[in-house]
Amino acid sequence: MTKRLVKVAITYCSECGYEAQTLGLAEALMKEFRHELSEIELIPWYDGSFDVTVDSELVHSMYREGGFPDHSMVFEAVRRHQTAPLPEKSSSNVAQER
Amino acid sequence: MTVTRERFEQGMTYDEYKAQMTRNKERFIENEHQLELDPQDLAVFQHLPRPLDVLVLAEDWCGDVIANLPILGRLTAESGTLHLRIFLRDQNPDLMDQYLNHGQFRSIPVFVFFDEQFHELGRFIERPASVTERNAQQRRKLYEEHPEFGTPDTPIAQLPEEVRGQLMEAMAAFREESRSANNRDVVDALCEIVKAVSA
Repeated sequence: MTKRLVKVAITYCSECGYEAQTLGLAEALMKEFRHELSEIELIPWYDGSFDVTVDSELVHSMYREGGFPDHSMVFEAVRRHQTAPLPEKSSSNVAQER
Repeated sequence: MTVTRERFEQGMTYDEYKAQMTRNKERFIENEHQLELDPQDLAVFQHLPRPLDVLVLAEDWCGDVIANLPILGRLTAESGTLHLRIFLRDQNPDLMDQYLNHGQFRSIPVFVFFDEQFHELGRFIERPASVTERNAQQRRKLYEEHPEFGTPDTPIAQLPEEVRGQLMEAMAAFREESRSANNRDVVDALCEIVKAVSA
Protein backbone atom coordinates (compact mmCIF):
# COMPACT_ATOMS: atom_id res chain seq x y z
CA MET A 1 0.00 0.00 0.00
CA THR A 2 1.31 3.45 -0.85
CA LYS A 3 1.10 6.43 1.38
CA ARG A 4 0.96 9.94 0.10
CA LEU A 5 3.31 12.53 1.51
CA VAL A 6 1.12 15.16 3.11
CA LYS A 7 1.85 18.68 4.15
CA VAL A 8 0.96 20.06 7.57
CA ALA A 9 0.76 23.81 8.14
CA ILE A 10 0.49 25.43 11.56
CA THR A 11 -0.66 29.06 11.61
CA TYR A 12 -0.02 30.57 15.02
CA CYS A 13 -0.48 33.96 16.64
CA SER A 14 3.02 35.29 17.10
CA GLU A 15 1.77 38.05 19.42
CA CYS A 16 0.16 35.56 21.76
CA GLY A 17 3.12 33.46 22.81
CA TYR A 18 1.99 30.29 21.04
CA GLU A 19 5.52 29.36 19.99
CA ALA A 20 5.75 26.55 22.54
CA GLN A 21 2.51 24.89 21.35
CA THR A 22 3.58 25.34 17.71
CA LEU A 23 6.99 23.81 18.20
CA GLY A 24 5.52 21.09 20.41
CA LEU A 25 3.13 20.00 17.68
CA ALA A 26 5.82 20.24 14.98
CA GLU A 27 8.17 18.09 17.04
CA ALA A 28 5.45 15.54 17.74
CA LEU A 29 4.68 15.30 14.00
CA MET A 30 8.38 14.87 13.17
CA LYS A 31 8.73 12.04 15.66
CA GLU A 32 5.48 10.35 14.71
CA PHE A 33 5.83 10.52 10.92
CA ARG A 34 9.58 11.14 10.32
CA HIS A 35 10.08 11.16 6.50
CA GLU A 36 6.39 10.51 5.76
CA LEU A 37 5.50 14.20 5.61
CA SER A 38 6.30 16.38 2.60
CA GLU A 39 6.56 19.51 4.67
CA ILE A 40 5.73 21.11 8.01
CA GLU A 41 5.08 24.81 7.49
CA LEU A 42 5.01 27.25 10.41
CA ILE A 43 3.19 30.50 9.62
CA PRO A 44 3.54 33.36 12.11
CA TRP A 45 0.24 35.23 12.17
CA TYR A 46 -1.69 37.19 14.75
CA ASP A 47 -5.27 37.76 15.85
CA GLY A 48 -5.21 34.94 18.39
CA SER A 49 -5.02 32.24 15.74
CA PHE A 50 -3.87 28.64 16.06
CA ASP A 51 -4.91 26.74 12.94
CA VAL A 52 -3.70 23.42 11.64
CA THR A 53 -4.22 22.31 8.05
CA VAL A 54 -3.38 18.91 6.64
CA ASP A 55 -3.02 19.31 2.89
CA SER A 56 -5.95 21.62 2.22
CA GLU A 57 -8.17 20.51 5.10
CA LEU A 58 -8.45 22.78 8.11
CA VAL A 59 -8.41 20.17 10.87
CA HIS A 60 -8.23 22.56 13.81
CA SER A 61 -9.03 26.22 14.27
CA MET A 62 -8.78 28.04 17.55
CA TYR A 63 -11.69 30.25 16.42
CA ARG A 64 -13.80 27.26 15.49
CA GLU A 65 -12.98 24.68 18.17
CA GLY A 66 -11.26 26.83 20.77
CA GLY A 67 -7.97 25.99 22.43
CA PHE A 68 -5.14 23.90 21.04
CA PRO A 69 -5.60 20.59 19.23
CA ASP A 70 -4.83 17.21 20.71
CA HIS A 71 -1.79 15.86 18.90
CA SER A 72 -3.57 12.55 18.43
CA MET A 73 -6.34 14.26 16.47
CA VAL A 74 -3.78 15.82 14.11
CA PHE A 75 -2.02 12.47 13.73
CA GLU A 76 -5.31 10.85 12.73
CA ALA A 77 -5.93 13.56 10.13
CA VAL A 78 -2.46 13.00 8.67
CA ARG A 79 -3.04 9.25 8.46
CA ARG A 80 -6.38 9.82 6.76
CA HIS A 81 -4.77 12.04 4.14
CA GLN A 82 -1.87 9.64 3.63
CA THR A 83 -4.25 6.97 2.43
CA ALA A 84 -6.80 9.19 0.71
CA PRO A 85 -7.16 8.95 -3.09
CA LEU A 86 -4.28 10.65 -4.81
CA PRO A 87 -5.02 14.07 -6.36
CA GLU A 88 -3.78 14.06 -9.97
CA LYS A 89 -1.48 17.06 -9.63
CA SER A 90 0.23 15.53 -6.58
CA SER A 91 1.16 12.26 -8.22
CA SER A 92 4.84 12.77 -7.42
CA ASN A 93 4.13 12.91 -3.70
CA VAL A 94 4.20 9.19 -3.12
CA ALA A 95 6.29 7.28 -0.62
CA GLN A 96 6.50 3.54 -0.30
CA GLU A 97 5.27 2.26 3.02
CA ARG A 98 8.12 0.76 5.01
CA MET B 1 -15.02 33.58 47.54
CA THR B 2 -14.50 37.29 47.66
CA VAL B 3 -11.53 39.53 47.11
CA THR B 4 -10.03 40.93 50.29
CA ARG B 5 -7.96 44.06 50.71
CA GLU B 6 -4.98 41.88 51.60
CA ARG B 7 -5.30 39.81 48.41
CA PHE B 8 -5.92 42.90 46.30
CA GLU B 9 -2.77 44.62 47.53
CA GLN B 10 -0.69 41.63 46.40
CA GLY B 11 -1.17 42.74 42.81
CA MET B 12 1.23 44.82 40.76
CA THR B 13 0.94 48.52 40.22
CA TYR B 14 0.46 49.70 36.64
CA ASP B 15 4.15 50.65 36.37
CA GLU B 16 5.24 47.32 37.85
CA TYR B 17 3.08 45.52 35.31
CA LYS B 18 4.63 47.44 32.43
CA ALA B 19 8.13 46.78 33.75
CA GLN B 20 7.62 43.01 33.78
CA MET B 21 6.18 42.79 30.25
CA THR B 22 8.26 40.61 27.96
CA ARG B 23 6.27 41.03 24.74
CA ASN B 24 4.18 43.66 22.96
CA LYS B 25 5.42 46.39 25.31
CA GLU B 26 6.08 48.77 22.41
CA ARG B 27 2.50 48.48 21.14
CA PHE B 28 1.15 48.80 24.68
CA ILE B 29 3.01 52.06 25.25
CA GLU B 30 2.11 53.34 21.79
CA ASN B 31 -1.57 52.75 22.55
CA GLU B 32 -1.17 54.55 25.86
CA HIS B 33 0.40 57.59 24.20
CA GLN B 34 -1.92 57.75 21.21
CA LEU B 35 -5.14 57.65 23.22
CA GLU B 36 -7.02 60.94 23.09
CA LEU B 37 -9.11 61.33 26.22
CA ASP B 38 -12.13 63.61 26.09
CA PRO B 39 -12.01 66.03 29.05
CA GLN B 40 -15.69 65.28 29.72
CA ASP B 41 -14.95 61.59 30.10
CA LEU B 42 -11.99 62.31 32.33
CA ALA B 43 -14.19 64.56 34.46
CA VAL B 44 -16.48 61.60 35.18
CA PHE B 45 -13.54 59.89 36.91
CA GLN B 46 -12.05 63.04 38.46
CA HIS B 47 -15.35 63.86 40.17
CA LEU B 48 -15.94 60.48 41.72
CA PRO B 49 -17.20 60.95 45.29
CA ARG B 50 -14.52 58.57 46.56
CA PRO B 51 -11.55 56.66 45.12
CA LEU B 52 -12.21 53.20 43.74
CA ASP B 53 -10.10 50.06 43.85
CA VAL B 54 -9.80 48.32 40.50
CA LEU B 55 -8.62 44.74 40.23
CA VAL B 56 -7.14 43.92 36.83
CA LEU B 57 -6.38 40.52 35.27
CA ALA B 58 -4.06 40.66 32.29
CA GLU B 59 -1.27 39.00 30.29
CA ASP B 60 1.12 40.65 27.87
CA TRP B 61 0.33 38.23 25.03
CA CYS B 62 -3.33 39.24 24.77
CA GLY B 63 -4.38 41.71 22.07
CA ASP B 64 -7.36 42.99 24.04
CA VAL B 65 -5.09 43.71 27.01
CA ILE B 66 -2.66 45.57 24.73
CA ALA B 67 -5.58 47.62 23.40
CA ASN B 68 -7.63 48.25 26.54
CA LEU B 69 -5.42 48.26 29.63
CA PRO B 70 -3.56 51.41 28.49
CA ILE B 71 -6.94 53.20 28.45
CA LEU B 72 -7.53 52.31 32.09
CA GLY B 73 -3.91 53.24 32.81
CA ARG B 74 -4.37 56.72 31.36
CA LEU B 75 -7.68 57.25 33.18
CA THR B 76 -6.00 56.21 36.43
CA ALA B 77 -2.99 58.45 35.95
CA GLU B 78 -5.02 61.48 34.92
CA SER B 79 -7.97 61.19 37.29
CA GLY B 80 -6.16 60.32 40.51
CA THR B 81 -9.25 58.49 41.73
CA LEU B 82 -8.53 54.90 40.74
CA HIS B 83 -6.29 52.51 42.65
CA LEU B 84 -5.18 49.70 40.34
CA ARG B 85 -3.73 46.34 41.22
CA ILE B 86 -2.84 44.01 38.37
CA PHE B 87 -2.60 40.21 38.44
CA LEU B 88 -1.37 37.84 35.77
CA ARG B 89 -4.22 35.63 34.62
CA ASP B 90 -2.24 32.42 34.38
CA GLN B 91 -0.67 32.72 37.83
CA ASN B 92 -3.83 33.69 39.70
CA PRO B 93 -6.59 31.19 38.94
CA ASP B 94 -8.27 31.92 42.29
CA LEU B 95 -9.03 35.40 41.03
CA MET B 96 -9.52 34.57 37.35
CA ASP B 97 -12.12 31.93 38.02
CA GLN B 98 -14.29 34.45 39.86
CA TYR B 99 -14.60 36.60 36.76
CA LEU B 100 -15.16 34.23 33.85
CA ASN B 101 -16.61 35.62 30.64
CA HIS B 102 -20.18 34.26 30.34
CA GLY B 103 -19.29 32.06 33.30
CA GLN B 104 -17.03 29.93 31.09
CA PHE B 105 -14.07 31.67 29.52
CA ARG B 106 -10.91 33.07 31.03
CA SER B 107 -11.11 36.17 28.84
CA ILE B 108 -8.91 39.14 29.60
CA PRO B 109 -8.53 41.93 30.37
CA VAL B 110 -10.81 41.96 33.39
CA PHE B 111 -11.33 45.22 35.26
CA VAL B 112 -13.36 44.86 38.48
CA PHE B 113 -14.36 48.04 40.31
CA PHE B 114 -14.76 47.87 44.10
CA ASP B 115 -15.89 50.24 46.81
CA GLU B 116 -13.94 50.63 50.05
CA GLN B 117 -15.65 47.57 51.60
CA PHE B 118 -14.70 45.55 48.53
CA HIS B 119 -18.22 45.27 47.27
CA GLU B 120 -18.14 44.91 43.52
CA LEU B 121 -19.53 47.91 41.66
CA GLY B 122 -19.10 46.69 38.12
CA ARG B 123 -16.81 44.83 35.77
CA PHE B 124 -15.40 45.11 32.26
CA ILE B 125 -14.36 41.90 30.51
CA GLU B 126 -12.33 41.62 27.31
CA ARG B 127 -13.96 44.30 25.09
CA PRO B 128 -17.37 45.87 24.48
CA ALA B 129 -19.75 43.94 22.24
CA SER B 130 -19.79 46.94 19.89
CA VAL B 131 -16.06 46.49 19.28
CA THR B 132 -16.50 42.81 18.48
CA GLU B 133 -19.27 43.70 16.02
CA ARG B 134 -17.25 46.50 14.39
CA ASN B 135 -14.28 44.19 13.93
CA ALA B 136 -16.49 41.50 12.42
CA GLN B 137 -18.10 43.99 10.02
CA GLN B 138 -14.74 45.30 8.88
CA ARG B 139 -13.48 41.79 8.40
CA ARG B 140 -16.50 40.93 6.22
CA LYS B 141 -16.01 44.12 4.19
CA LEU B 142 -12.31 43.38 3.70
CA TYR B 143 -13.01 39.95 2.28
CA GLU B 144 -15.80 41.29 0.05
CA GLU B 145 -13.46 43.90 -1.40
CA HIS B 146 -10.57 41.47 -1.86
CA PRO B 147 -11.72 38.18 -3.37
CA GLU B 148 -8.07 37.15 -3.62
CA PHE B 149 -8.13 36.70 0.18
CA GLY B 150 -10.72 33.95 -0.18
CA THR B 151 -13.33 33.94 2.57
CA PRO B 152 -12.89 34.61 6.31
CA ASP B 153 -12.85 30.82 6.72
CA THR B 154 -10.03 30.24 4.23
CA PRO B 155 -7.03 28.85 6.11
CA ILE B 156 -4.07 31.22 5.89
CA ALA B 157 -1.94 28.26 4.87
CA GLN B 158 -3.91 27.98 1.61
CA LEU B 159 -3.08 31.50 0.50
CA PRO B 160 0.01 32.19 -1.59
CA GLU B 161 2.71 33.91 0.43
CA GLU B 162 2.30 37.16 -1.50
CA VAL B 163 -1.43 37.25 -0.71
CA ARG B 164 -0.75 36.43 2.95
CA GLY B 165 1.44 39.51 3.14
CA GLN B 166 -1.26 41.66 1.54
CA LEU B 167 -3.89 40.29 3.92
CA MET B 168 -1.69 40.95 6.94
CA GLU B 169 -1.15 44.54 5.82
CA ALA B 170 -4.86 45.05 5.17
CA MET B 171 -5.81 43.68 8.58
CA ALA B 172 -3.20 45.83 10.31
CA ALA B 173 -4.61 48.85 8.46
CA PHE B 174 -8.17 48.19 9.55
CA ARG B 175 -7.03 47.61 13.11
CA GLU B 176 -5.44 51.05 12.94
CA GLU B 177 -8.52 52.62 11.34
CA SER B 178 -10.86 51.27 13.98
CA ARG B 179 -8.63 52.05 16.95
CA SER B 180 -10.15 55.45 17.71
CA ALA B 181 -13.76 54.22 17.58
CA ASN B 182 -12.88 51.14 19.63
CA ASN B 183 -11.14 53.26 22.26
CA ARG B 184 -14.23 55.47 22.39
CA ASP B 185 -16.42 52.44 23.12
CA VAL B 186 -14.09 51.21 25.88
CA VAL B 187 -14.05 54.63 27.56
CA ASP B 188 -17.87 54.73 27.32
CA ALA B 189 -18.13 51.30 28.96
CA LEU B 190 -15.83 52.34 31.83
CA CYS B 191 -17.71 55.64 32.26
CA GLU B 192 -20.98 53.71 32.55
CA ILE B 193 -19.57 51.64 35.39
CA VAL B 194 -18.33 54.58 37.43
CA LYS B 195 -21.35 56.79 36.69
CA ALA B 196 -23.40 54.24 38.60
CA VAL B 197 -21.16 54.95 41.60
CA SER B 198 -21.69 58.69 41.31
CA ALA B 199 -25.47 58.38 40.98
